[in-house]
Amino acid sequence: MSHAIDIRDLHYRAGKSFEIRGLELRVPTGSLYGFLGPNGSGKTTTVRLMLGLLRPLQGTITVLGAAVPREIPRILARTGYVPEQPHLYTTLTVAEALTFHAAFYPTWDWTWANELVGQFNLDRSRRLAQLSKGEMGKLEMLLALAQRPELLVLDEPTDGLDPVVRRDVLTALLDYVSQQNATVFISSHLVHELERICDWVGVMDRGRLVAELPMQSFKNGIKRLRVTNPPALPGDTPFVVLAREAGNGGSETWTVRGWQAPMSQYFDGVGASLREVIDLDLEEGFVELLRTFREPRT
Amino acid sequence: MFRMILFTQWKWSRLTVLLGVLAAFALPLLSIQHAGEPDPSTWEARRLLASVQSWSVLYPALATTIALLIALAAWGPDHRGRHVYALSLPLPRWHYALQRFGAGLVLLAIPAFALWLGAVLAARTATVPMGLHTYAGALAVRFALALGVAYAVFFAITAGTTRTAGYVLAIVGGIIVVQVLTSVAGIELNLIPFLGDRLLLWPGPFEIFSGRWMLIDV
Repeated sequence: MSHAIDIRDLHYRAGKSFEIRGLELRVPTGSLYGFLGPNGSGKTTTVRLMLGLLRPLQGTITVLGAAVPREIPRILARTGYVPEQPHLYTTLTVAEALTFHAAFYPTWDWTWANELVGQFNLDRSRRLAQLSKGEMGKLEMLLALAQRPELLVLDEPTDGLDPVVRRDVLTALLDYVSQQNATVFISSHLVHELERICDWVGVMDRGRLVAELPMQSFKNGIKRLRVTNPPALPGDTPFVVLAREAGNGGSETWTVRGWQAPMSQYFDGVGASLREVIDLDLEEGFVELLRTFREPRT
Repeated sequence: MFRMILFTQWKWSRLTVLLGVLAAFALPLLSIQHAGEPDPSTWEARRLLASVQSWSVLYPALATTIALLIALAAWGPDHRGRHVYALSLPLPRWHYALQRFGAGLVLLAIPAFALWLGAVLAARTATVPMGLHTYAGALAVRFALALGVAYAVFFAITAGTTRTAGYVLAIVGGIIVVQVLTSVAGIELNLIPFLGDRLLLWPGPFEIFSGRWMLIDV
C-alpha cells in the first residue's frame, strides 16, 4: 500500500507544556483519512509540521513521495490546504483573492473555480473582510479545490459553520474526491462528520497517536457488552477490556475493543453469561478510546 | 506571480505612494521659492543657497518615512495571518520574500520619479544666479538610493517577529542608556557620536542620508 503521507518518529516541542513524541502516521493514497482528537491534542501542529510550516526536532515526513521540508514547494503545488483559522488577505475582494491564488498554481482550473463561486453563492466584488464565517469557509475550500490537488489537507474545515454551509462544503469535497481519486486528510473534533465520510481514522491525544485503523474496523471493534455473573477478574480475555461498570442485579457493562462474535465463548468458560452486544457509534468509541489512553485499565 | 504580489502590495500601500508622490514632487519646487528673483547678486546667491539648504533635511526624512510605511505594508497582512498563507504557497520562502522586496522597490520608484520630475521642473523655472548650478538628476538619484537603503533596513526588521523588532529597539535603547549613564557619571564616552560617524559617514551604510541634499549648489 502506498502512502500519501508518511510520518516516522516525529518529535516536536512547543514551549514546556506541549510536545509530540515519536509520532508514526501513515495515510493511504486515495483514502479519506479522518484525524480525530480533542482540542489541544496536537492535530493542527501535526498538520503544520507535515506542510513544512513548522520544523520538527526529529523524525521524517514524506508527503506525496517528497521529503518535508526539503521539497516543500513541490509538495505544496500538489496540495490543497484549508487551515484552522482564515488566513487570506482580507483587504482583497473575492475576485482578487481568486486571481492571486491562481497565479501560484499551474494546475488551477478557472472553469471549475467559476462554477464553485456560483455554487457557493459568493459575491466576487465583496471584500474578504466583509464575508461571513460561512462564506469565508466556502472560499477557503474553493481555493483548495480549484487548484486540482492530489492531496487535500483540511484542518477543522467546517468548525463553526452552520449545517447548510457545512453540507455545501462537504458535498463539494466529496464530488472532487469521487472525480479525482485524491487523498484527503481531514482533521476535526466533530466525530459524527468524519464517521460519515472517512474510510480511515487516526486518533490523536496529548501529542501521541492513540490509534490508526480503517474506519470500519474502528467502528466494529469497539462494543459494549452486558454481562451477568461477571468474574471478579476478567483474566486472559481474547479482547481488550476498556471499561467495566456495575449494573443492576450483579450484572456489568463492559466496554471492549477487538471484539468478534466467536469470542462470546469466553464468558461460558468463566461462568458468566453474555446478555447483549451493543454497537457503539464512532463518538462513543472515540470517547472510550481516549478514556483508556488517559487512564489505562487492566 | 510577481504581478499579483505587486498588485497586493500596491493595494496595501497606494495611499502612502500617493502622498509620497505629492510630497516628493512638491519638495524641490518649495525649496527654490527664492530663486526667481531678478538680478541676483552674490548676496542673493548666498540667501538662495541658505534657503535651499534649509529644505535639505526634508529629503532624507521623506525617503525614510515613505520607505518605512511601504515596508510595514509589505509584511502587515502576512503578520496578521501569522504568515500561514504565505508559507502555504508553493514557492521557497526566500523567493516569496524577494518578490515582496522587489514589489516594494517598484512602488518606491514612483515617488523617486515624482521627485525627479519636480526637481527638473523647479530647475527649469528658477532663475539661478551666476556660479550656481542645478542638480535635478543627482538629487533624484540620491533620493532613490536613500529610499532603497531605508526600505531594505525596514523591510528586514519588519519581516521578523515582534521579538526581532524588540531586539533592535533594545540595542538602540541600550546605547542611549549607556550614553546617558556615562555622561551622568562624568565618564568621557562619546558612544552615540562615534556610532553616528561610523554609520553616517563614508564608508558607513547610511552615508546616503547625510551630506548636502541641494537642488541648487555651487
